[in-house]
Amino acid sequence: MGLRALDNVSLELAQGEILGLIGPNGSGKTTLINVISGLLAPTAGRARVDGTVVTGKPAHVSARAGIARTFQSVRLFKALTARENVEVAALAAGVRRVEAKRRADELLGEFGLARWHNVLAGALPYGLERSLEMARAIATGATFLLLDEPAAGLDESEGDALLALLAGIPATRGCGILVIDHDMRLIMRLCRRLHVLAHGQTISEGTADEVRRDPRVIEAYLGSAGAAA
Amino acid sequence: MGSLLTGVAILIRGHRQLLILIVPIAIFAVVTQLVGGTLLGRIAIAFFINLMVVLSLQIFTGNSGLLSFAHVGFMGIGAYVSAVLTMTPEAKAFAIPDLYPALVPVTLPFIPAVLIGGLVAAVVAAVVTFPIMRLREAASVISTFALLVIIQVILAHWHELTNGPRSLFGLQPYTDLPTAALWGVIFIVVAWVFRHSSIGLRLRASQDSEPAALTIGVNVVRLRWIAFIVSAFIAGFAGGLWAHFVTTFSPRAFYLIETFVAVTMLIVGGPRTVSGAVIGTVIVTAAFQGLRTIENQINLERLLPFQVVGVTEILLAVVLIVVLTVRPGGLIEEREIFSGPGGPLGPDADSAAKAPP
Repeated sequence: MGLRALDNVSLELAQGEILGLIGPNGSGKTTLINVISGLLAPTAGRARVDGTVVTGKPAHVSARAGIARTFQSVRLFKALTARENVEVAALAAGVRRVEAKRRADELLGEFGLARWHNVLAGALPYGLERSLEMARAIATGATFLLLDEPAAGLDESEGDALLALLAGIPATRGCGILVIDHDMRLIMRLCRRLHVLAHGQTISEGTADEVRRDPRVIEAYLGSAGAAA
Repeated sequence: MGSLLTGVAILIRGHRQLLILIVPIAIFAVVTQLVGGTLLGRIAIAFFINLMVVLSLQIFTGNSGLLSFAHVGFMGIGAYVSAVLTMTPEAKAFAIPDLYPALVPVTLPFIPAVLIGGLVAAVVAAVVTFPIMRLREAASVISTFALLVIIQVILAHWHELTNGPRSLFGLQPYTDLPTAALWGVIFIVVAWVFRHSSIGLRLRASQDSEPAALTIGVNVVRLRWIAFIVSAFIAGFAGGLWAHFVTTFSPRAFYLIETFVAVTMLIVGGPRTVSGAVIGTVIVTAAFQGLRTIENQINLERLLPFQVVGVTEILLAVVLIVVLTVRPGGLIEEREIFSGPGGPLGPDADSAAKAPP
């Protein structure tokens, strides 16, 4: 058996909640998202949405069950326009064409992308790529969003704008959000509850304050990166 | 009925470029039919049949992003099936002496036979391609190439259906220019509609990022499979028209050179767009005919102290390499021809389009 990227990790995410997933590099955060979204099949363990098991099945099954995600390195449909990027996500969720276009226009407006609707995604400015990817994830009508470092590479004002948008999503759309980020400022402002991984294992879970004071968390960060959260 | 007309009106308004593609080609066909000689007429028919094969490739390759070398094989299936269906029992007795007795008396009209040829190609595609639709990149291309080889070997050895590796002859020359042109235009529309359909859009998304497409819920394997079946039907249909154009052919007609020409046409024009498929076919056909004429002329007039053979193919191969190096997306890359620049709108558009708070 090779390395266990994840071992005995268990977490729950409720609709309307934003859960922060943190941990040093290589602790298994992205692997966990890959497993939940169905891109990786775990050797043991399962993820459920409303009691329906989504692991060990083709990845599109997880999406149909209500899980959408973004990627640490943005993965847009570069040869499609910004609008088509969002429209196709609604279509893939089974929405009719006219409604999918309407939903796309609405989300592009919400994410400040309206004037870019006819631009190929591959030609978008970097700061807008993450917004588009998020609009695409939301367009699926997902009940759970998994966001892998949504603020990476954004400058402070872009990050703040994104934060404001993100914070409103659970209330307006009723989704639960799992967010990975190394930007502790963002995590602390966004999440009431945090889940901490190190070496593929859960080392702590609780409110931001509880986690911050947890000696195991402090050790994990000091021990690996030498930088405390 | 009313909603259908509205639908067609919307389609035309939203897709003016489609007319820009079709009209010149239709004019070319009409003019050739009226004033062109026999030679030009035959070049035009061959052009339209090639166009169908390239469009069929575009439907699969252009949307899924997976190159297929198998399509000319499906063209062969359509050619043989339709040939067996249109030939008279007397002609079959000469041309396919080992033919299954049950098929000998069957004689169908031309277009129904060609349609059945396309359907058989589609059914074969449906049965054999599902497992390879989950492959990608080199593995995918190589497996379609293997499929071409398998089809070739079967065509060359199924004496009870194809007369084996020998030539099949005695077909009626049913395929005239109006028929070829009409179906060519129909398949341009089919490829266009497919590309812009929900299936086409989802497939093009999977071409750009398969993981992202999966995680928005696109069943990538199934959609590739559907695209392959549709495209195999068109390739088989084109094969039926081609069979009743040349009237004599052997399994070798559906192999490497033909695959190479079809793939070159698609790649030179730009596989991602229907405009690319059409323009690639026009350019490569023109270049091919032009070079062939020059080559023949050189040989005829003995302009060189030796015979020139195969220069046309070599130059086409060079063109293919140059396009792949200089402009790998082909001449018409991501957007259809005349789609406009597609830049961002003015800054005030954002506030105008934003939903009220």
